[in-house]
Amino acid sequence: MTDPDKAYNVIDEPPGVRTPLVTGRHSYASLTDTVSHVAEMKTPLAWYIAFAISVFWVGVLGVGVIYLISTGVGIWGHKNPVYWGWPIVNFVFWVGIGHAGTLISAILFLFRQNWRTGINRFAEAMTIFAVICAALFPGIHIGRVWLAYWLAPYPNQMAMWPQFRSPLMWDVFAVSTYFTVSLLFWYMGMIPDLATLRDRTKSRIAGLAYGLFSLGWNGSSRQWHRYEVAYGLLAALAAPLVLSVHTIVSFDFAVSQLPGWHTTIFPPYFVAGAIFSGFAMVISLAVPARAFFGLKDIITRRHLENMCKVITATGTMVGYAYMMEFFIAWYSGSPYEKFAFINRALGPYAWAYWTMISCNVISPQVFWFKWARTTPWFMFVVSIFVNIGMWFERFVITVTSLSRDFLPSSWDYFRPTTWDVLFLIGSFGLFFTLFLLFCRFLPVVAIAEVKGVMAPVNPPEHAEYRTQLVH
Amino acid sequence: MHHHHVDPASLDLSRTVADLGPSVNRWPLLIGAAGLATAIVAAVVRAFIVDGENSLERFLFAYLHSYLYFLSISLGALFFVIVHHLTRAGWSVTVRRVAEVLAANLWPTFALLFLPILVAVWMRSGLVFPWSDPAYVADHPVVYHKIGYFNVPWDRDVAFPLFFTLRAILYFAVWAFLGRGFLRRSVEQDATGEPSISKRFEGRSAWAVLVVFLTVTFASIDWAMSLDPEWFSTMFGVYYIAGCAVSFFAALWVIVYFLQSRGVLVEAVTVEHQHDIGKYLHGFIIFWTYIAFCQFLLIWYADLPEETQWYLVRQNGGWQWIGLTLILCHFAIPFFGVMSRHVKRNRKALLFWCVWMLVFHWFDIYYIVMPQAAHGSLPLGLIDVATAVGIGGIVVAGTVRTAAGHALVPIRDPRLAESLAFHNI
Repeated sequence: MTDPDKAYNVIDEPPGVRTPLVTGRHSYASLTDTVSHVAEMKTPLAWYIAFAISVFWVGVLGVGVIYLISTGVGIWGHKNPVYWGWPIVNFVFWVGIGHAGTLISAILFLFRQNWRTGINRFAEAMTIFAVICAALFPGIHIGRVWLAYWLAPYPNQMAMWPQFRSPLMWDVFAVSTYFTVSLLFWYMGMIPDLATLRDRTKSRIAGLAYGLFSLGWNGSSRQWHRYEVAYGLLAALAAPLVLSVHTIVSFDFAVSQLPGWHTTIFPPYFVAGAIFSGFAMVISLAVPARAFFGLKDIITRRHLENMCKVITATGTMVGYAYMMEFFIAWYSGSPYEKFAFINRALGPYAWAYWTMISCNVISPQVFWFKWARTTPWFMFVVSIFVNIGMWFERFVITVTSLSRDFLPSSWDYFRPTTWDVLFLIGSFGLFFTLFLLFCRFLPVVAIAEVKGVMAPVNPPEHAEYRTQLVH
Repeated sequence: MHHHHVDPASLDLSRTVADLGPSVNRWPLLIGAAGLATAIVAAVVRAFIVDGENSLERFLFAYLHSYLYFLSISLGALFFVIVHHLTRAGWSVTVRRVAEVLAANLWPTFALLFLPILVAVWMRSGLVFPWSDPAYVADHPVVYHKIGYFNVPWDRDVAFPLFFTLRAILYFAVWAFLGRGFLRRSVEQDATGEPSISKRFEGRSAWAVLVVFLTVTFASIDWAMSLDPEWFSTMFGVYYIAGCAVSFFAALWVIVYFLQSRGVLVEAVTVEHQHDIGKYLHGFIIFWTYIAFCQFLLIWYADLPEETQWYLVRQNGGWQWIGLTLILCHFAIPFFGVMSRHVKRNRKALLFWCVWMLVFHWFDIYYIVMPQAAHGSLPLGLIDVATAVGIGGIVVAGTVRTAAGHALVPIRDPRLAESLAFHNI
């Protein structure tokens, strides 16, 4: 079989011609076969190996959580003056990753970017798993984990309410709303495809499970009509959520008076950074997945190229925010602001700062070159750099500002403990465990939606078009 | 390609502003001149009747206010053209020429209109921009710290706005090069139909969007944020740019509506394009609100005096009513007003909301600029309205002149057929 990447030129789109989104001689049936095969084939050995490694790290994470709860947050590297360390960094990192899915499924839908259909399903899955990883960290950070339900505002005999003035409280609402809507969106979009798997499977147990979750879908036009309406409504509801979640995460920092945290550009800058890291993670997952599962005709190089462009655009927005922060730190004339930023670039954490700048601002600029943004292995490497850079961005923001607080006598250098590192790796284990399960049992590509962009959409007839003229 | 059966050749798309009749060449300039004359007369009369009032400064503030307002429409148009090419957009081809003309009008119209502002700064008397007064700078250490950004970077004691002027020249050079360049090459495509021009636009627009974002950011810092030289906000550039997008999409539909009422663009722009313009208008109303709200919330919450002073001025002396008006009329009311599909697809209803947004966007810029002129009082009068009419008239005249001789649709754009056949789901 020839490699679709070499056989089809989907990259050069002459003006006036739209490149097909699915290459190869795919019919509706062969498309269904290709995608369903991923869930139906005999489990490959590589999957077992990857799953075993991931589950091992989930185990480490589990041990860590038990140790944490039984001992206290002191097992992490938090000490005066840095009381927000890796857990919050990991939280923001994972929430950020969780932005691509809903952006692709909601905002690109509203912008009629049809190429999103090839990648939206597993980007949404990735979103949900990333938000689960994110939610873990503040959940176990609160000290007395068994009182986590106090975060919920409910009338109680203690006459005690959550602190509504705290952005940490807003986070609880923002993240849980986002998780709920993302899950609904993902699940609702999957119903027709679950029905497809239900109809194809020969296993009774799988048939029962798919049957249960496909909610009696029979593909009637009435069902399709309601599906389309619901999809449009959920997209419109989810679009502001893409902005709101990371906006509120940025408030965690920006409402304070701490130099380096308090600056007005934080909300859109965090959102841009979140989309940036989310798309990088989609590329990190899509490049191997399309090769391994034979999906190169559906996730073509054109899809990858578009994602690389989004990465360059959002990476440059993040660069713009870094520049504005620096400029305004000087322009403000505030010595504390100025110190905070010079300290970032030249102080004890300069290594972290320059790692961040190299990975986030410089590395995505390679996508100005067509070769770089159309060569899968290369963009995979860059996407890893972006992921590293975005983790460091949150580290730089959190730790550099805290470590140099207003009392120079309490300045100190933050050092993570082994447990800090194990929790981070463990969260990756959790993420990949969930993702591998998804690849194994669910339709990894939105089969029905891809079919919608395969078929020539019936163009309006000339006469029909003329009737809409203004007279 | 399955859109080919809508044959652009069968439609008469090549109408120009000449088809609008002779009045469009004459009236805008006359109205503009009359507006500015009225404003100047009002300022002179004011000098006699209001004691202690600097009428020249009052006029210049009104001038800067309306200048930044009309500028935002043209800058929004430049962003639109660039993003259109960057994303290989199909739907918007038929309205792109209008945007190209608005963007090309940045040179020379807006560059010439900027001269009075530049002269005011050169006078070194603190007119409008307090930092242009050496005595003010000497009294304000924080402003002295940054005066090199406006005057001479290597010597803070030289009181001449060298860097400010050089930057203004740079901004206009960039906007002229891009605005004029996009129009010129696009018109060239009208003659040749050369697809490589579209391809070239696509490549150019990638760095153009970056350069325009940076120049507009710093222009808004120079010309609006520095009116209060001690105040600062990293969000400010994005705030102005959000306003550019709102005012551009509102102006776009007003212009298309006017042109269609004169028989131009009637074949090219359908209810589908109208619907999309309405969607973008609605989207950017929300985006503007998001940016405005976040900027306010973060400053209010942290409550640092060097930041809150800007809002403090705007929460007293009647300005609180302007702020409240913006919340209601720049967000809440149009948010619900433009939300419905029926409104966006109704020509007159959308026109109403576009005019509404253009009015309240004028108040948005008013809220940014004018409190620096009059702390504790709310000047809104003949001068402001007459200046708006004056600058508006000149801008319209410049726009008509820029459009002269060109078809108002990119008649041989390779994606024109796709745009003509465009349908919303």
